[in-house]
Amino acid sequence: MTIGSFILKNALRNKRRALLSVLSVAVSLFLLVTLLVALREMTVPAEDVRAAQRIAVRHRVSLANLLPARQLSVIQRIPGVAGVTPFTYYGGKYKNEEIPSFAQFAMDPLQMTNIFGEAKVASEQLAAWYKDRRSCIVGKLTMERYKFKLGDTLPMTSMLWPCDLEFKIVGVYEGTPDDRNVMFHHKYLDEASGNTGMVGTWWVRANSLEEVPLVVERINKAFANTSAEVLAETERAFVMSFVSMWGNIKVFIGTICSVVVFTLVLVSASTMSMAIRERFRELAVLKALGFQRRELFAFILAESFGLAMTGAIIGVGGAWALYTHANINQLTNGFFIVAEVTPRIMGMAFIVAAGLGIISSLLPSLAVARTTVVEGLRTLD
Amino acid sequence: MALPVSYNVRNVFVRWRSTLATILGIALVVAVFVLVQSLAIGLRKTSANTGDPRNLMIVRKGSTAESVSQVTREQLRYLQYMEEIARDAQGQPLVSADTLVLVNLPRVEDKGAANVLLRGISPRGKELRPQVSLVDGRWFERGKREVVVSRRLGGRFQNFHIGGQFTTAGATFTVVGWMEGGKSAFDSEVWMDADEARKIFGRENYSSVLVRPVDEPAAMRLKVKLENSRQIAARVWRETEYYADQTKMALPIQVVGNFLAVAMSIGAVFAAMNTMYASVGARTREVGTLRVLGFRRRSILVSFLLEGAFLAFLGGCLGCAFAMPMNGYAASVIGFETFSEMMFEFRITPELVAQGLIFSVIVGLIGSLLPAVRASRLPVISALKSV
Repeated sequence: MTIGSFILKNALRNKRRALLSVLSVAVSLFLLVTLLVALREMTVPAEDVRAAQRIAVRHRVSLANLLPARQLSVIQRIPGVAGVTPFTYYGGKYKNEEIPSFAQFAMDPLQMTNIFGEAKVASEQLAAWYKDRRSCIVGKLTMERYKFKLGDTLPMTSMLWPCDLEFKIVGVYEGTPDDRNVMFHHKYLDEASGNTGMVGTWWVRANSLEEVPLVVERINKAFANTSAEVLAETERAFVMSFVSMWGNIKVFIGTICSVVVFTLVLVSASTMSMAIRERFRELAVLKALGFQRRELFAFILAESFGLAMTGAIIGVGGAWALYTHANINQLTNGFFIVAEVTPRIMGMAFIVAAGLGIISSLLPSLAVARTTVVEGLRTLD
Repeated sequence: MALPVSYNVRNVFVRWRSTLATILGIALVVAVFVLVQSLAIGLRKTSANTGDPRNLMIVRKGSTAESVSQVTREQLRYLQYMEEIARDAQGQPLVSADTLVLVNLPRVEDKGAANVLLRGISPRGKELRPQVSLVDGRWFERGKREVVVSRRLGGRFQNFHIGGQFTTAGATFTVVGWMEGGKSAFDSEVWMDADEARKIFGRENYSSVLVRPVDEPAAMRLKVKLENSRQIAARVWRETEYYADQTKMALPIQVVGNFLAVAMSIGAVFAAMNTMYASVGARTREVGTLRVLGFRRRSILVSFLLEGAFLAFLGGCLGCAFAMPMNGYAASVIGFETFSEMMFEFRITPELVAQGLIFSVIVGLIGSLLPAVRASRLPVISALKSV
C-alpha cells in the first residue's frame, strides 16, 4: 500500500461523511462565487474600448433635469468633438406592463455608428431606420425576450413624457454591454411632445483619447454661468456615479460574503476534525509504529485538503458552468445582464478552499502531535 | 413510550465540541436570513409609514411616481377651489402643490455623489403632513433660498448642518433647520418653498398636488370627479396608498434574501447531518441498550429528530441574537421610484424572529431525519456488540 492510496482509503472509508463534507464545501463555494459575481456586476460596470472616448453631458443639478436643445450647436463647434447626439430617456412602459422593463432612448440616428460604433446593425436595417422617423432599432436581448420580429410595432406609454409613442421595429443591434434598449428618432419625440426644445443628455465622442479631458473641460466651461449648467464627464465616471448610488447595499453584500466564508470554514473544519478525532487511536498506533509527527500531519493535511479541493471543483465549476451557459438576463428578470465568473473570482474561491483545507487539518494535527502514544491508545472516543 | 426530552438536551451539551460548530453554523445562516429580510421589511415599513390617510395625492395620469408627474398651474387653479376640499379657519383650501426636483449632491467624506429628493411645498404643505416635525433650527422662509433637511440626511451629505450652504442650479441654499419624518419617506427629503423651487429650477409646472378633502364621502367624490375630468388628466391616490405602493426596491432584496437563505441552509443541513450521524455512530451501544429496555423504534426516531431540532433551535436563537444589534440601524439605498437616496432602518420584528426560529428548526429536522432513521433501524444485537 502506497502512502497515496492510504490517504485516499482513509478519506473515503466513511463514504457518507466524505460526501457530505464535499457537498457542504461545494454549496458554500457556489454561494461565495455567486455573491462575488453579483458584487462585481454591481460595482464594476461592463465597458468596451470605445467607451473611453465617449463623454456624457448631463444637467449639473441632476440627471432628471432636462437640457435645452440649443446647446447642440455650441457643443458641435467645440474643438476636439468628433460627434454629438441628444440622448433622451423616454421612460416608456410596453403595452400593459406596470414598470418599464427595457429602456428607450431618443437620439440622432445618423450619429449611431459614429458614437456607439460597437453596436452592430446590418447596413440595410440602418438605412431603413434613417429613413422612417417612427422606426426604431431594438437590442437583441429584448428582441429575444419578447419574441419581436422586424416590422412589429411597439406601443409605449411614457411615465415622463406626456405623449404616447408607437415605434416600428426596423433593425436589431448587438455587441454593446447592454443589448436591451430601444433607440429611436429624437425628432419623433420632439414632434409628439409639442417641440419642448428639451433633451435629456448629450453624448459626445472626442477625436482621440488624449483629447477627452480637454473636451470635458471645454464643454463644462462653455455652459458655465448659463441657465442650464452642465456636467460633462467620461462615460466611465458617469456609469460609476450610478454605482455610488447603491449606497450601503455594497457593504452589505460584502459583509454577507465574509459571513458565508466564515460559516463555511467553521462547519467544514468541524466536520473534518470530527473524522480525525474518531481515528485518534489509529494515529497513536501509527505513531507507535514509528511514523513522525510531520508525516502524520501530512496524512491529515492531504486528506482534508483533498476533500476541500474536491468540493471547490464541484462548487466553483458548477457556478462557472451555470453562469456561463444560463440566460442570466431572463433568470434575474433583467436585474443582471450577464454574470461573468472571472478568473480572479475563481482564484479567490480556490484560495478560500485551500485555506479551509489547511485550517481544518491544523487543530486535529496539533492534538495528535501533543498526545503521547499511550494516551492516544487509551482514547475511547 | 417516548424517551424523556432531557436525554436529548443533555446529549447536545455533553458532546459540545462537535455540536458547537454546527450550532454556530446554523446561527450564522439564520442571522443572514433575518438580516436580509429585516432590510426588506425596513424598506416596506418606511414606505407604509408615510402619509396621512385623510389626504389625497393628485398626479398626472400614467406617472408611476410623483417625481415624474406634472400638474400645470391652470389645473391647480381649477381644482383647488373645489367644494370637496377642506378649508382652514381663514377659509383657505388645504392644498399643497409640490415641486419635486432631483438634486445631485456630494456625500460626506468624499464618498461620491448621490441624488437627493428636494420637495418644494406650498404654505399648507406642513399642515397636511403632521408626521413631519422640526427638531432643530427653524422652518425656511419664502424667497430667501432657505431649506430644511431631514435629520437623517444631515449627517450624510456635505454642508447639511444647520447654517451650511450648498450651491446647485446657480443658487446658493442655506440649511436653516433639521426635520424628523417619523421614520417615513420624508426622512429622505429636503424641503423648501414650492414656487421658489419652480423659479430656481426652471419648472413651469408643479409635480403633484396634495389635498385634504372635507370627509370620506367627499374624498370618493373628488377622486371620481378628477379622474374623469377632461381638464385634468389625473390619477388620484390616497396618500398612504401611494407610498405603500412605492416599494419595488424591497422585492429584489427579499428574493436575494430567500435565495441566500435556501443556499446557505443546504450547507447547514449537510453540517447538521454530519453531526447527527457522528452522534448516532458514537451512541450505537446506547441505542442498543435503549431497545433492550423496551423503547420502540418509533420513540428512538422521534428522540433523535427532537435532538436535531433542539440543536438547530439553539443555533436559531443564537442567530437572532447575532442579528439583533442591527435592529434600528439606519442605512440607505437608491429608491427605484424616486431615483434618489432612500433612508430606512433595519427592522427585526417578532414575526421575523419567529420565522428565523422556525427556519432553523426545519433545517435541524431535515438534517437529523436520515441519521434518526438509521438509529431507529440499528439491529439490537450488533448494536450492543459494537464498541
